This record gives sequence, structure tokens and C-alpha cells, in this order.
Amino acid sequence: MNFWRDIKGTLQPFWITLGYLFKKPVTIQYPEEKRTPPPRYRARIVLTRNPDGSERCVACQLCSAACPVDCISMQAAEAEDGRRYAAWFRINFARCIFCGLCAEACPTMAIQTTPDYEICNRDVLKLVQEKEDLLIDGCGKDDEYNYYEHSGVGVANERGGNEDEYGPVDPKALLP
Amino acid sequence: MPKLTIDNLEVTVPEGTNVLEAARELDIVIPHFCYHEALGAVGSCRLCAMMFVDGPVTGLQMACMVEAQDGMVVSSTDPDAIELREHVIEWAMTNHPHDCPVCDEGGECQLQEMTVAGGHGVRRYNGKKCTFTNQDLGPFVQQEMNRCITCYRCVRTYRDYCGGTDYGVFGSRNRIQYGRFQEGTLESPFSGNIIDACPTGVLTSKPFRFKTRLWDLQEAPSICPHCSLGCATIPGGRYREVQRVKAGINRETHGFFICDRGRFGYDHVNHQERPRQARVDGQPVAVAAALTAARERVAGMAREHGPNSIAFLGSSRASFEGSVLLRDWAAATGSQQLVYEAHQGRDHAARTLAARLGEHGRSLEDLRQSDLIVLFGADPLAEGPMLALAIRQAVRNGGKVIVIDPRPVELPCAASHLPLAMERLTDVLTALAQKDLHAFDNHEHAFLENLSEQFDSAQRPVLIGGADLLGGKGVDALCSTAAQLSSAECAVGVMTMLAGPNSYGGALLAGDGPDFDTILDAIQEGTIRALVCLESDPFREAMDPSRAQAALGHLELLVSFDATPGLAAQRADIFLPTRANAEMAGSYMNNEGRLQAFQAVIDPGLPISETGAGNHPPREFFQTTPGSAPEADWWLLAELLERDTTLAALRKTIEQSDECFVGLSAIDAESTGLRFSAQGSLPPAAEQDLLQTGVTDALKLLAITGPVGSHWLAHLSSPLAATQPKPYVVLHPEQAEKLGLSAGDRARLTTHFGHCHVVIRTDEKMVNGLILAPQLWDTALEGMVPGSMLDCQLEKEGKA
Repeated sequence: MNFWRDIKGTLQPFWITLGYLFKKPVTIQYPEEKRTPPPRYRARIVLTRNPDGSERCVACQLCSAACPVDCISMQAAEAEDGRRYAAWFRINFARCIFCGLCAEACPTMAIQTTPDYEICNRDVLKLVQEKEDLLIDGCGKDDEYNYYEHSGVGVANERGGNEDEYGPVDPKALLP
Repeated sequence: MPKLTIDNLEVTVPEGTNVLEAARELDIVIPHFCYHEALGAVGSCRLCAMMFVDGPVTGLQMACMVEAQDGMVVSSTDPDAIELREHVIEWAMTNHPHDCPVCDEGGECQLQEMTVAGGHGVRRYNGKKCTFTNQDLGPFVQQEMNRCITCYRCVRTYRDYCGGTDYGVFGSRNRIQYGRFQEGTLESPFSGNIIDACPTGVLTSKPFRFKTRLWDLQEAPSICPHCSLGCATIPGGRYREVQRVKAGINRETHGFFICDRGRFGYDHVNHQERPRQARVDGQPVAVAAALTAARERVAGMAREHGPNSIAFLGSSRASFEGSVLLRDWAAATGSQQLVYEAHQGRDHAARTLAARLGEHGRSLEDLRQSDLIVLFGADPLAEGPMLALAIRQAVRNGGKVIVIDPRPVELPCAASHLPLAMERLTDVLTALAQKDLHAFDNHEHAFLENLSEQFDSAQRPVLIGGADLLGGKGVDALCSTAAQLSSAECAVGVMTMLAGPNSYGGALLAGDGPDFDTILDAIQEGTIRALVCLESDPFREAMDPSRAQAALGHLELLVSFDATPGLAAQRADIFLPTRANAEMAGSYMNNEGRLQAFQAVIDPGLPISETGAGNHPPREFFQTTPGSAPEADWWLLAELLERDTTLAALRKTIEQSDECFVGLSAIDAESTGLRFSAQGSLPPAAEQDLLQTGVTDALKLLAITGPVGSHWLAHLSSPLAATQPKPYVVLHPEQAEKLGLSAGDRARLTTHFGHCHVVIRTDEKMVNGLILAPQLWDTALEGMVPGSMLDCQLEKEGKA
């Protein structure tokens, strides 16, 4: 019985291969031909901007904390209006595994993954990208969210000036 | 001793313990915001609810407000208690600004933890949030009132524990605001503690603002290097710089809080001018080459001019292990010229204390329990602020404080003060010991009579002295007085403020060697030709810097080991960079002889903020870290002496060679430290008279330790720079009037250092006939080494 099974096992793969000779190939001739990945594809990481054009990143370090390969580093700083921002922001794409956890952790929608997967380079230093390389002129996947419009620290609006806030109280008032 | 059952586990606790503390004994974590071991319970956060199932109290109660009683049966996992906690968290979050990404507390926020633990994930309240205006509270504390949950911890820390008066709570119902009545800098020298105390991000550190998240910080238990009290700290570093210091916990010494000098005085580690390169004759060399040069040149000098042509100067800043090795190097060379303090008065005081303290030694915890504290020539806020805080706790526990000092000593508590000239402090001590007060006139007699009576009724009295003003003779008198006043029922304690974190350790090792002034004379004469400085700067730290600078110019060889840009480091023929306290493991012996270990927080190297000039780190790669040459002082000396260079082996060797240090190798950085029974030797008897007699009718000026920021390491720390005052002198109002001066006037001060411009301050509490000038670095008052007496002239220049 084993004899017939072995004959079948030898011939069947040839038969299947023969069948594929007459089908349309699924491979494409990269890089002459390129395929468009889906919009939520996880490739090059970018830093997006608020709808008003200001930087979205508040350098909260959550992306670098979430990163399993420690490829994100940054330093936070304070602007004159009290805004927290990244003085520098570095992603080492030579180390990045494109897991997308940074984008998931980001509370301000600043760090986002894009479908641009063509990052390869022979010079490793070119894969170490700084803030100016990462920052794009756009909101990315969410064109409405502005973190400082929602957090009550008085940066985008006056103190107590957000939609869901009363103006500042007067603690010295004698009224009940 | 009540015995109660919590979560089916039985526990017996001392009388007066609350249920929250009893649960902690069993390692049961009860969530809480407002309870703090040092501050006690007030029951304002409502989070520690537990179900009292059976016993004298039943029902849902706040665990921190119920005293543990016999027969109580308590459950922390009761569904009602859990539900209440969930609601409390939800209430606390109704007005929260939801700004965790930009809040510095993020990562170590108790509110964040409790919110997650309480399971509050979805906001049900749709109303508007209450908001507040922030105040600028000065250079140390950043306020963001919107995050407040009104737990009252900050006020209890600032006002009750630390004795500050300019911070409080205002308003009612949902308008509760914490802050000053008017915006301004917090006045208390312990203001930084409210940063640690705040369980959310209302009060955060301003110098540390937006620097680093907790999870990125490298932290390790350390000991504060700023004074001789040896408070436990937890420095945090990142990107090769120390970025903050948080209070550690040591119930025997400082407790839970630290002073602002310790908290914000970390920046000397990151100082831009810090020498990080070994040098021989001005040429940069590798550390190994510099060590070889030091070894060979010192040995060569010993061969040529005899071993006593080389002097070894240690320091109160160097680690205990490094200090031991310096002694070994001196012994190996054959030199007897070994001293651990360049300042003669401080050196004599430390050595006398190490020789005579014995059973009289008291810790800060003993001090907090004391009922009578008498300060002789000690100014705690200047010389070791945490001492002042311990004294305050003694007063809060019903103790009395008496100050006998020429200076107007400020304390964060009530104290009676007798202004007395510096040279009479010893007389008072002797008179008190002999109960013979006839040498004092009416007012002083009455004061001392009263003090003498209080001694008779006190149970746990402590005498506190200051090394700067008392010197060796004064400390000797202090110890003698304590011994004579002690009886079988009541032992009188002694504590003395010394110069630095390892003054006591250095004094133990110094033996009966010469003091630095004798060495200076020998250098001047040419009998001593070489000087080895271990983390000391005799050019600035000697009692008379101008004399020291003149004498030290005669040296043929100056070897310096240092971590700061001092003059000795700059002028050294052979320089070896050492690690700062936060960069190495080691130990210090504090002013009660308690040896405490510390660990390395970060490795040395040029901070990334410096190599990147504020921007991203340079886009180049090196095999080594720039600026990483510094090594621990004990490592360098062990290498030089060709010993085993691991700390464990070094401590073993010290234990084997000195029986009195047995236990050193078992010492743990997170323990309360170890007090050795080792006794030092008394210093050489000859002590210079503190008064430099010059022109007899000239005004007498006493150099004193300035307020926070006037110590060398503190001076190198930029966050403290904001607290440095403009040069000033303090006078008694009567004397000011005699000189035609009034408070706020500008005047010209002339000493043998030259002229300088100062602002006049007056204080009624000081002794009349003396001018007090604080040592302020980088100003004309830099040469005012505390404890030295100078002749001076003071002329009015105009109104401020």
C-alpha cells in the first residue's frame, strides 16, 4: 500500500506545479511595478500636525515606553506658552520592527504609521531619522483632533476656556 | 496591644495604631491619598474605606481614622468597600483636566494608579469641569491646580511638618485652592517636600520640568553630599546627567523629607566646567598614565627628600573607602603628614568629636524625641537644614529649644535665644557643667539659670554644637558638659554639625596627625614639597585662603583627585578626575558616626544636553562615551596602590585591617546605616586662636555659612543659584546706628581681601559689636571661610 502512496506523493506536486504554469502570476516586478498597500498598513512612521498646523507631539514618552525594541528617543521641552513639545525626536528605523505599538500608545495622534514601506538604505545613519525628517505637513488619519483643545492646562485656549470647562474660580469669594 | 483580624489574618499592633497601618503590617495594600506616615491621618480623601464586620466598630469606615482595637474584624475586599472606592475615584476625576501626557507626575502618580486600580475607565459625568488659576511659586515648585484632589497633604507637609507659614489653603466647597495668599516664591527652605508629598501632579519640580519620565530615570539609593547629616536620597538620572533628587526614607536619620539644598543641589555632577580628563603637567593623558606618574613622582619625592616631604590632604567630600586608601597611601609612603580637613577649626572639631562622642551620640530620630535641645554655635538652617526640621518635630512633641549663638539663628519653630560672643560659648558650657554662673551678668545670668533648671527636669536633653564656631576646644567642652550633666537616669546627648558628609569618617582615620595649618607652615618653610589632595581644595577651604594660596605656591608637586572645577584641580601638576557621589558606590560616615552606603545612579559622561547642544545627540558613533574617564576615588587609589579594585574586596580588606570597622562589607545602601564603636584620637593640642589680632579698634567680622546655596557643591548647582542673595552683612541695629547705617543701605566692606560692596541687614537677635558676613561663592564674599574672624571696615555708600 505504501508503494502506491509514494507514487502519488511523487507525481501530485508535479501536477500541481504544471497547473500553475497556465495561471496568471501573483508576483509583480518590483521595483518597476509597485503595489499600493492598504491605508492602515504599518510602515514608515511620521509625526503629524494639528489641524491648525502646530506640532502634535507633546513628547510624553509613551511611544518610546511602548516600543518593544527601544528605537524611539526624545527630549521634551517647554515652549513659552507652556506647551510641551519635543526638542528632538529620533526614530532609529534600522531597529524598528514596524509593530505600530507607538501609534497605538500615542495620546495625541501625533505619531502615525504610513503605507510608505520603501525605507531601505545602505547607510545606517540615514535610517536614524530626526524630528525634521519625521514631521509631515498634515494631520494624517485624524484631521480634527487637537490634544490641547481637550486637556485643561490652558495652552490652546485660555485657562478654563475649553468647551467642557467653567472659567477659573475665585477661591477668595465669600459667596456660598 | 490590640489584636485584630484583617482579611482573615490576625495581627497584633501597638496601642494607637490605626487600622490602615495595621493592614500594612500584614502587607495588605489599602489605597489612600491623604494618609502619610510622617503626617498622620486626616481622613479627607475617603479612599481607604474598609468594612468593619465585627467588634467595637462596625460598618463602612475610613481605615486611617479608626484606631485598632481588640476584637476588630475587618475586610478590605468587601464589595461595599470596593464600590465606595470606585465612586470616590470617579468623584476625584470629575474635574480632572485629563492632561496626563503633559504632566510630570505621569508614571508615578498615585491618582493615575488608583484610577486604574479602581477600574474607572469610562467617564459618566458630562457636566463642565471646575478650573483654577495657577500661581508662580518660585524657582523650585511648579503648580497646576486643575489636577488637585484636595487631600491636604501639601499643607500638612509645608505648614505642620516643615513650619512654613506662606502656603495654605483657601476657599470652600469646590473652590478649594492651595497656594500663597499672594503669588511669590515659597519661603521655606523645605518647600521641595510638597513635590514628594503631592499624590498627583499639582506640585511638581520646576528644575525637572518636562525633563524625563519616571520609567526612563535611572535611580538608586544614595546619600546627600551637602552636609554632615547624611540624609538618604534617591537621585534620578538620564542621558548622562543627574536630573532630580527625591527624598529617600531613613527613619533613624532624616525620616521622609529632605531640604531644598539636598533636593536641588544635584547639578554639580553635570557642571559644564567639571574636569573630566586626567592631566600630567597640563597635558591630557590616560588615567592609567596619570596614576603611574602620581605613584612614581610621590615615591621619587619620598626617596629624594624623605617621606615627610609629602603631605596628604583628604576631604569631607571623599568616600569613606577612598579616605581609608589615602591613609594607606600615606602609610605606604611613610609620611606622617595626613589630614582630612583643610579648615583647622572644622578639623579639630571633627577629630575631638570622633574621640569623645562615644555614648553621647544621638541620631536625628533621637532628636525628634528629645524634650530639651540646646544649640551652641550651631545654625541648623545654614549648616544642615534637616537638623532644624528635626528640632521642629521635637518642639511639636512638646520639647523646648534654646539657642546660644552670636548669630541671629532662625529656626522653623519657637526658640529662646541668647546672643553671646563666639569666644564665650566655651565659657558657658564650662559654667553650665559646673553650675557656677557667677561670671555672667543679670540678663545672661537669669537666662542660664533658667537653662540650668530646665536641664534638671529634662528627660532626654541634647546639646547641639556647630564645628565652625566651636572648633576643637568648644566641641571638647560640649562633650565634657554632656558627660558632667549626665546622670544614671538621664543621659545628655550630643550632636555636632560638621563640615561635610564624611567629616566624621575622616576624623576617625586622621589619628593624631598634624592639622593643615601646621602643614601649610611646613610648605612655606620648604620641608613639605608635595601635596596630594583627595577631593579637597585647600586654596579655598583653608581657614585663611590668602595664606594658603601664598604657601601652596611653594609646592613642587601638587596631585589632585577631584570631581569639581576647584582651584586645586586647575593648578595640579597631576590631576585625576573622580566620580561624583551620584556616579559611584561607596559610603559616608555622618556626624553621629553612622556609616551609610550609597550606590551609583549613572555612569559618568558628558550629558547629552551638552554634546547635542540642546538638540538631538550628535550623529556620530564612538567606541567610548565622551567624558567617561572619571573613576571612583577608591578605585583610583586602589589601582594606584595596586590593590584589588572591587568595592567588596576593598571593604573586606578594611574590615580585616581595622577591627573597629567590622560590619562594613555587609552594609546595605537601603538600610538605616551602621554605627561603629570606633574612637578617633584627639587633635594636636595647639589650636590657633580664632581671633586674629590686628588693629584693636577695627570692627570684628565673623564669617558664617550663608543661606542655602553657599556650600561649594551647592554653589555648582544651577537650580540653587536663584536662592543666592546679593552680598550682604548683618549687624545689630545699635551698632548699625553707631556706624550711621540702617537696614537696606549700601556699604563698602574692607577686609584684608580688599574692598567689596555689600547691603546692610540688621537683626536684633544677634550679638552687638560684631559684623556677620556669609560666605557667598563667586562674589566678593567668597573668601569668608565660616568660623574665621577678620578685622574690617564698613563705610556707607548710599541707599539701596
